[in-house]
Amino acid sequence: MINYPKNFIIGAWSLIKGLAVTLKYFFKPVVTLQYPDEKLSMNDSYRGLVGLNPEKCIVCNQCVKICPTACLAIASRQEDKKKTLETFKYNMELCCFCGLCQQVCPTGAIIMTNIYEISVYDRKKFDIDLLNVKKYDEWTDTTVK
Amino acid sequence: MLSILHFIWMLIIGLIVLSFLAGSAMFLIWLERKVSAHIQSRLGPMRVGWHGILQSIADTIKLLLKEDIRPVKADKLIWWLAPFFVVVPSVMAFVVIPFGKTLIVKDLNVGILYIMAISSVGVIGIFMAGWGSNNKYSLLGGMRSAAQIISYEIPLILSIIIVVMHANSLSMQKIVAAQSGYWYIFYPNMALAFVVYIISATAEVNRTPFDIPEAESELAAGFHTEYSGMKFAMFFVGEYTNVFIVSAIATTLFFGGWHGYIFPPIVWFLGKTYSIVFILMWAKWTFPRVRVDQLMGFAWKVLTPISLVNLAITGWLLLK
Repeated sequence: MINYPKNFIIGAWSLIKGLAVTLKYFFKPVVTLQYPDEKLSMNDSYRGLVGLNPEKCIVCNQCVKICPTACLAIASRQEDKKKTLETFKYNMELCCFCGLCQQVCPTGAIIMTNIYEISVYDRKKFDIDLLNVKKYDEWTDTTVK
Repeated sequence: MLSILHFIWMLIIGLIVLSFLAGSAMFLIWLERKVSAHIQSRLGPMRVGWHGILQSIADTIKLLLKEDIRPVKADKLIWWLAPFFVVVPSVMAFVVIPFGKTLIVKDLNVGILYIMAISSVGVIGIFMAGWGSNNKYSLLGGMRSAAQIISYEIPLILSIIIVVMHANSLSMQKIVAAQSGYWYIFYPNMALAFVVYIISATAEVNRTPFDIPEAESELAAGFHTEYSGMKFAMFFVGEYTNVFIVSAIATTLFFGGWHGYIFPPIVWFLGKTYSIVFILMWAKWTFPRVRVDQLMGFAWKVLTPISLVNLAITGWLLLK
């Protein structure tokens, strides 16, 4: 019985403290991102889709060898002492985005871009020839025009 | 001839009240979603209209188009009538709410008593919904609601009596007129009465922390579990209309009604009312739900004694 007023006051004070917390959050900025309208920009170390800089490629095949899921395939032809790329197949369906190809590339030709909107409606679109892809933005279906 | 004109006039007034009520309920539903969202660092509805302001209209259209499902073993008549018993009393309470000096449907000389009498009918609707649905959760929700509303009506009315004693009238306009100098909230005993009133009113309109009749974690949705489509919408509109009315009564009784400077009276009245609505929403999204025994104990062991002591002190002060 002696504790009753004490408990009452403590309880009422805790309710007021709770109200203060919610009011503080009411005026704080929201954390929601309105996704298709606003997008997060990924930093350069993000491992998104694999991209290729064809001029730098010396066709050393190291990326094909290191790839743990074997999603890369290179076809080339020999001209004098120089090899030239014919196709650079990248099967995105198999890719595990480990970034080993980027690490192993001696000239920095193959890179991990920061593109993360990689869902498409047609499964065949996952099989990409990196030599023919100009812009990934045109490739994905999820990109809002 | 005169009676026909009178009838048309009544229809026009009724239409104005009904359209204001529907618009207000839709606005409150939108406001509730926005307030809750911002308290939880979210955005709430954003897609339909500016900041989702038309979301409630879209939801109403959806509810209108939904199938009206009736449980096979429901008590048909009672089940069908229940939503009307919830909505109609809350609409009727609008008759005596003073929005301005002349902006009142009818200034009854027993205004506040009329509101208390009318708003008690709503509990019958909730109980009918609980009984008619033939569902154990609905029945429990209805029973809880009846127990809760009857218990909290006592401190509610006791705190209103204090205002009536000060104003010497039951008429809403006369209570407002009595506050032309100081608002009643500035008197200490009235401030206490306001606290008791706002807690009891939260319980009266079944809102968190006193929402045990529709506690979703215990009773699915309580008394409106079995309702869908427009009947569910009627319960929803009834709830938010009640929230508006409870706040409007608080404004009239404690915050000087439409009194204020510079702006027209209606702006003052609606501003004060929506501020109190915001307080109710703020409390709803802060506090956890109480247990049934805590709820009853709080009404009978805390609020009722406080109100009685307050009533005695007020009587002594007035007679002194």
